[in-house]
Amino acid sequence: MVDLIPIWLCVFFTLGIYSILYRENPWFRIAESVYLGTAVGYAVSQDLLYIRNQWSGQWSQSAGMMLLFALTMVVGLMWYARFNKSTFYLYRWPLAIIVGTGIGVALKTVIFTQFLDQIIAQANTPFFVAGDLMGTINNILIQIMVPSVLLYFWFTGTTRDSAPMKVVEKIARYTMMAGFGSAYGYTILTRYSLLIGRSQYLLGIPPNPPEAKLAFIVIAFVMLASMIGYDMFMKKKTPEE
Amino acid sequence: MSNALKRIEIPIALTIIATLLQVIPYYLDIAPVKNAADQMQTVVLIIVACATFVGVISILQVHGKKIQRKSEGWEYSIIVVLGTAVMALTGLPLAEFGLGTNNAIFNYIFTNAMTPLGGTMYSIIAFFITSAAFRAFRAKNIESSIVLVAGTIMVMGNAPLFTNALPVLADISLWIREVPNMATMRGVMIGAALGAIALAVRTLMGIERGYLRGGGEE
Amino acid sequence: MSIMKKVQNLDTRIIYLLAWLFVLFPLISPLGLPIPISNDARNWYNYVENEVNDGDTVIFSLMYGTSGMPELFPMSVATMKHILEKDVKIVVVTFWVEGPLVFDTLIGQVDPADYGKVYGEDWINLGYIPGQETAIGSLATSFQNTVANDYVEGRPLSSFPIMDDIKSANDVDLIISFETGTPGAPEWLRQWNTAYGVPIIVGCIGVSVPGMIPYINSGQMAALMPGLTVSAEYEVLLSKPGLAVAGVDAVSTSHLLVVLLVIIGNIAYFMTKEDEK
Repeated sequence: MVDLIPIWLCVFFTLGIYSILYRENPWFRIAESVYLGTAVGYAVSQDLLYIRNQWSGQWSQSAGMMLLFALTMVVGLMWYARFNKSTFYLYRWPLAIIVGTGIGVALKTVIFTQFLDQIIAQANTPFFVAGDLMGTINNILIQIMVPSVLLYFWFTGTTRDSAPMKVVEKIARYTMMAGFGSAYGYTILTRYSLLIGRSQYLLGIPPNPPEAKLAFIVIAFVMLASMIGYDMFMKKKTPEE
Repeated sequence: MSNALKRIEIPIALTIIATLLQVIPYYLDIAPVKNAADQMQTVVLIIVACATFVGVISILQVHGKKIQRKSEGWEYSIIVVLGTAVMALTGLPLAEFGLGTNNAIFNYIFTNAMTPLGGTMYSIIAFFITSAAFRAFRAKNIESSIVLVAGTIMVMGNAPLFTNALPVLADISLWIREVPNMATMRGVMIGAALGAIALAVRTLMGIERGYLRGGGEE
Repeated sequence: MSIMKKVQNLDTRIIYLLAWLFVLFPLISPLGLPIPISNDARNWYNYVENEVNDGDTVIFSLMYGTSGMPELFPMSVATMKHILEKDVKIVVVTFWVEGPLVFDTLIGQVDPADYGKVYGEDWINLGYIPGQETAIGSLATSFQNTVANDYVEGRPLSSFPIMDDIKSANDVDLIISFETGTPGAPEWLRQWNTAYGVPIIVGCIGVSVPGMIPYINSGQMAALMPGLTVSAEYEVLLSKPGLAVAGVDAVSTSHLLVVLLVIIGNIAYFMTKEDEK
């Protein structure tokens, strides 16, 4: 019996979220509140575990490192200065360090990873592929489409009034529309994959516990009956004029 | 003295130093600077981890006020506060006291509350996107027609039901992904990389200060 | 044509109900549709089978939380089963806060001990590292400075034999990353692939796929596993059908519903437009 409680809880929370599809209701608010509270509290454990583990590593090996660790913790505590207006300025210091380091770490290689390597790949795309008509057509299309998209973003306003830019604009827009269609198709796949995953749990399909199926039927009935019953009750209570 | 500490130039200077400290050693082989940069990275990880209670305090402030004033929905705020407190306390890394990621209550809540809730929260978009496909996805002009046709072919290309019946759909959807989608994404990526570099340069010059806003002062 | 107007103004909850039915029906009563194998699945399978050599060091990173589990968990399980059959060293690490507990769930289904792997000698779990891209970069520079203790036993990394030869990204031969967003592939590419030349293969949710294609085209990324359907194909190639194969019929019927609704919605739109003219 006790083993069934976790399964019924999982099903309750799952259906609680899905109950919003009927309308806003207390089941959904309960599930949403539990998620919000637990998600925020969960992150605390992982972050503090990291700090504790770090102390037992390089930071406690010498006096200099211990001093640096203490200084780091002082800077880390400055995050909480944001909750007081008179000390808010201190909150900007750790933020500045994080933002600066993050920008620096990304900046040093972004020019290669997302700029040069892509341009090199584009330049290395041959116009003609021997013995492969489709490959040749595709490469020619890529050589036309990529620069068109780039020019579309770089040149805006009156620079698009010229005849060549009007052609470029059309090619770019049609290319992007096809790209967005592709993104839409994959979005459908992702969202339904998530729904299918939860449905597999609700139906108790292995390796999910089979007891979930009964819980699904019972809890779904209770939730629907309560919402529909309440609506019918409110309708009777306030008859339409 | 405290007025001097409040000057915006201090965090701007910190940003510039932190950025240059990471970038310079990558291009110039200066051992002390490289060591300082590597050490700085490990310092930053701890500073980031120290921010963990910011979310907790914010939650407690917002929902605590709601409970205090008995505003609309205050009963749910009790659940939020309780959930936050229980997870934060049971998850504290004090294995000597039975707390931490191996704590029974912590694991119970993660497995039986967070896992189903997290998985369900984003899956609900499937229903909304289906409804949107029915109501809003219209072939009103050439551009929307292209999106419609490309999107529909991609949807069919991802489903074995269609690709078994018409294998050519898989080839067409692959073409859409590898040619127009690739061209779009490459163009966007190159443009975004340039934008990121420009933003970084602006931040280095102290012009970009958006991340320092707040608190009622500049 | 009032029928078409009624169709256009159909109650949204009926559409939601249809979505439920089209997903639940094939799960309750599987259609058993054959699963054609795509190049994506073959590339992933071939890369893990042929490019991962005995003695290699592989980073296995679950860069997702509970929200990504339904789509990414099947491919994570299948890939873990595949690499456990090889004589490689596996370093498990994550930069997503829920990653460690997602991995604990994975271990509950795929125990390395069943493949003769010993913790600390053949594989190790470094847990979660906060800091996003900075953390990824720091790990590339020095494992020991970035992670003091392992996640499972809480002991110093230096006490595990597997870490004797793993000091930085220079000692890693492959990154296998499963992800739903940021930090993810771009961060790995910037900090590990561009800086140290470490190859990477990525399994991602469908939404992320369009953005990954330029990396595949340029050769920066060696292989891509784009979503649940290809996960099912991979499970078929491995002859280890799992959750992905069990769910792929529902992918088909749900996608059929979307296509039908798009077609019907457009027919209704054009016919009511004609009426109004």
